Amino acid sequence: QSMTLSVTPAQTAAWRRQILEQLGERSKREMDNFKHYEQAVEQSVWVKKGSM
Amino acid sequence: MADDKDVLRDVWFGRIPTCFTLNQDEATEREAEPYYLLLPRVSYLTLVTDKVKKHFLKVMKAEDVGEMWFEYEGTPLKWHNPIGVLFDLHAFNTVLPWSITVHFKNFPDRDLLHCLSNTVVEAHFMSSIKEADALKHKSQVINDMQKKDHKQLWMGLQNDKFDQFWAMNRKLMEYPTEEEGFRYIPFRIYQTMSDRPFIQKLFRPVSPEGKVHTLGTLLKEMYPVALPNDGEQKLYQVVIHGIEPLLETPVQWLSEHLSHPDNFLHICIIPVPTE
Repeated sequence: QSMTLSVTPAQTAAWRRQILEQLGERSKREMDNFKHYEQAVEQSVWVKKGSM
Repeated sequence: MADDKDVLRDVWFGRIPTCFTLNQDEATEREAEPYYLLLPRVSYLTLVTDKVKKHFLKVMKAEDVGEMWFEYEGTPLKWHNPIGVLFDLHAFNTVLPWSITVHFKNFPDRDLLHCLSNTVVEAHFMSSIKEADALKHKSQVINDMQKKDHKQLWMGLQNDKFDQFWAMNRKLMEYPTEEEGFRYIPFRIYQTMSDRPFIQKLFRPVSPEGKVHTLGTLLKEMYPVALPNDGEQKLYQVVIHGIEPLLETPVQWLSEHLSHPDNFLHICIIPVPTE
């Protein structure tokens, strides 16, 4: 059984760094070639509803 | 800590490029062109597809239009799961854009919940948040909020307003300084090869001996098949928000940073594609 149950600072850096890298790769893969697509939810319009 | 804030933004602003095509059996007055959209990974299909509906209704007769539903390669897509979860579970290793078929008839009652307005999505979303807070804080945080605060969470999601959402959601991510995390981690594990909707059990962020629980320890307890044996080839990918975190990643950190807006950590177990 090789699984590590405790987390050392070095490993902490490794898992966090790996997540940041992969999120960057995900953006490239899923968004870079599709920037011309329309957004499903428009960011430019502030939608305000009267009653809360 | 700046990096961790970046993670929250990356998670929120994840998009899936999608091509919607009308089901061939739908009666149309003229040919329906496909419709291309960037779908927010953290939102819900029925909440962000008004434009798709409008586009296809232009070529259909009103009497042929029933409740809209979506299908991917023969599988009806459960709108009540976040879009990113649907994509990771059914289409993670496929070529983009994601190709979804749109239907307006033969609603699959046995597979899908009806969703005729956004209030249905809102009720589902808020009930998930409440369930998550029951696990994390015995419901204390969500119950201390006012109705307008609940509304702020919902409106933040609905209108894709990161700051509006997180101004309130950060309260749901806090825990007492004397504790090492939430009471229990709200998580759900999905598998493609099972009729079971998901695995969800009580799981603490730290062991009784004080050891930090990781993604690996969570899977070892909940779904050990997903873990590779020493020296053997990996059979499954463990995917959260389109990435494969290391098994050493603490579940408390994952819960705080890679949960969906519904406050659940959604984990997809998918078979490694064969060449």
